[in-house]
Amino acid sequence: MTGDPQTEEAAQAQPQTLDPGLVPQQRLVGRLSALAVSALSLIGVTIALLVADDLGGAGRAGLVAIWLAVMTGLQWLAHMWPARVFAHTRYTLDADGLQISRGVYWRETTYVPRSRVQHTDVSQGPVERRYGLGTLVVYTAGTAHARVALQGLAYDTALALRDALRLDRPDDTV
Amino acid sequence: MPFAWIARMTPSEQRLHPASIVFDIARYARIFAWPALLAWMSGNRGRQVPGVPDGIDVASFETWLWVLILPSVGLSVVRFLTFRIQYGADELVIRSGLLFRNVRHVPFARVQNLDAVQNPFHRALGVVDVRVETGSGGSEPEARLNVLPAAALDEMRARVFAGRIERHHAQHADAAGDDAAGPPAMAGVERVPVVHLSPKDLLLLGLLENKGMVLVGAAYGLLWEAGMMDWLWGGLFDRTLDARGLFRAIGAFFLGRGPLPVGRLAIATVGIAAALLLVRAISMVWALVRLWDFRLDRIGDDLRVTYGLFARVTATIPVRRVQSITVQRSWLHRQIDRASVRVETAGGQSGAATRDREWLAPLVNESEVARVLGVAMPGTPLACEWRPVHPRAFRRAVKPPLIAALLLGAAMAMVLGWRSLLLSVPFVAWTVWSTRGHVRHLAWTMSDGLIAYRSGWFSRAETLVRLNRVQSVNLRQSPFDRRASMASLGVDTAGGGEFSHRVAIPYLDAELARQTQRRLAHAAARTEFQW
Repeated sequence: MTGDPQTEEAAQAQPQTLDPGLVPQQRLVGRLSALAVSALSLIGVTIALLVADDLGGAGRAGLVAIWLAVMTGLQWLAHMWPARVFAHTRYTLDADGLQISRGVYWRETTYVPRSRVQHTDVSQGPVERRYGLGTLVVYTAGTAHARVALQGLAYDTALALRDALRLDRPDDTV
Repeated sequence: MPFAWIARMTPSEQRLHPASIVFDIARYARIFAWPALLAWMSGNRGRQVPGVPDGIDVASFETWLWVLILPSVGLSVVRFLTFRIQYGADELVIRSGLLFRNVRHVPFARVQNLDAVQNPFHRALGVVDVRVETGSGGSEPEARLNVLPAAALDEMRARVFAGRIERHHAQHADAAGDDAAGPPAMAGVERVPVVHLSPKDLLLLGLLENKGMVLVGAAYGLLWEAGMMDWLWGGLFDRTLDARGLFRAIGAFFLGRGPLPVGRLAIATVGIAAALLLVRAISMVWALVRLWDFRLDRIGDDLRVTYGLFARVTATIPVRRVQSITVQRSWLHRQIDRASVRVETAGGQSGAATRDREWLAPLVNESEVARVLGVAMPGTPLACEWRPVHPRAFRRAVKPPLIAALLLGAAMAMVLGWRSLLLSVPFVAWTVWSTRGHVRHLAWTMSDGLIAYRSGWFSRAETLVRLNRVQSVNLRQSPFDRRASMASLGVDTAGGGEFSHRVAIPYLDAELARQTQRRLAHAAARTEFQW
């Protein structure tokens, strides 16, 4: 730590939002997943329609309607959920460490002190690359929260955060 | 600032040894070897069946083998081509992946272990399989470099451990280092006894912990295996099986359809009591054998635990590796002023794998608890004032079980009639009473040196964590929490078991929880974590 932690905190401790690119990226991933679910369940529904002889016309129509409703619901969820996730996620890097707040209904704030970071990963999948996003993963020696991941950062931000989390005083550790 | 370290030292980039493709494929081949062998054998047998054209089975097996192995070979090649190791001034940078790219930074100072494995094949090719462990929460090594040229390992060792010796000296010179509390290294190597359990204590312990059922279960299993159960069962219960209708009779009484079966109830009660006593007696003998001559000694900076009558166990717990301490007091414990003390340790030498819950004192006088804690957490002021949780905690905690009880009561009333509601009255009363007891005994405290959490009503447990052992701090709010502006606060430490009592304080005032989280994180950030 350099300087007075209080002033440094005041200078840095602004809660940051994720990269807005997270929303279209997660929407794409969500829609593709929903499509995959639709395709798979369509097979099931088709088999059910072919096999169930005693199902009347209304029953068949109902089955198809339920399937359509569920699949539309999934697409709607895939569209709407990422925006809510984006709105409810904040991270703060201050003199003490990294604080991540998230959760739409069940909220959670995890604070990882700087000196407890064992090692870090910055990773980027194919879809993330298209949107210039990356994921920062911070590892601690803990048990329940040994791996704290922050998804949806701009790739350069993820790199900068990782560099900022590097040990300040490597000479002091064992 | 981000790239300042590059200027200090030219980064040398390194790939894996090309032989790593061969070793990778060999690893996959080993996975496929057994199924392949089976397929081959069945293929051979298939050929002997008349009418099946020659070669079909073998051909299909080979086709399948290629389908399975070719992608893995491709993956091995891609892994080899994309894997890069880079040495920074004070960290190891590992890049991997083509589609899913990953960059891992491992600070040298965090490396616990550089394990090198060299089997004869490795030796023949002059390579080593290197595992870098930092002891983070997972069970896997943080980096597996399969395989490196043997010379590269020497370079890695030199770079990772360079400056470690100077740092070591610097730290010892710096009296105000991280573990200001730690006793000086040369505090003396004489044995200082801390806890010693006499046979009387052990009998008491066996009575309290009641592990007899474990032995009864084991004996039951053994008898079952030996086929002696039928013989025993017949001899014991042949004539008493008419007690079977007992529960039905009691149920009938409560529904107003019959008299209370007093005589049979008495016999059953006596029988059950006798069985329970026998189980307790077995437990006492078991404790005596298992923990015979239990000793906890302090030897220098280590705690040493020794026990056992037949198999003498000796476990050494370095004081600095103590992550948290849990003191447990059941109802019986409290009646006779005793407690039991456990520590959670984190393995340092062998990475994250060795996590043990260990006894510090299975049974100790209440007056001795503070002394035992002082030995396991030297220098930490343990005197503290317990703080209760939120005043409205009870009102919240009682709601879910009450709603469940009312729903159950309503269902019973519908099925069995209104009289059965009488049964749910004591149930509801018990729910309210036990919830009240539970919430009343929730407490926490935080001082400059430690955070502690206490829970449990009949059986109480309190866990103490030194602030320099805090790994991360977690604040959670369910929708119900938010409505009541409460939160729960969890403290993550290394080496906590799945089912161990952890610091996870529910029903805190949200603002207080937030402040406490900040304070904890700040205190933890100022100290370095030591294995």
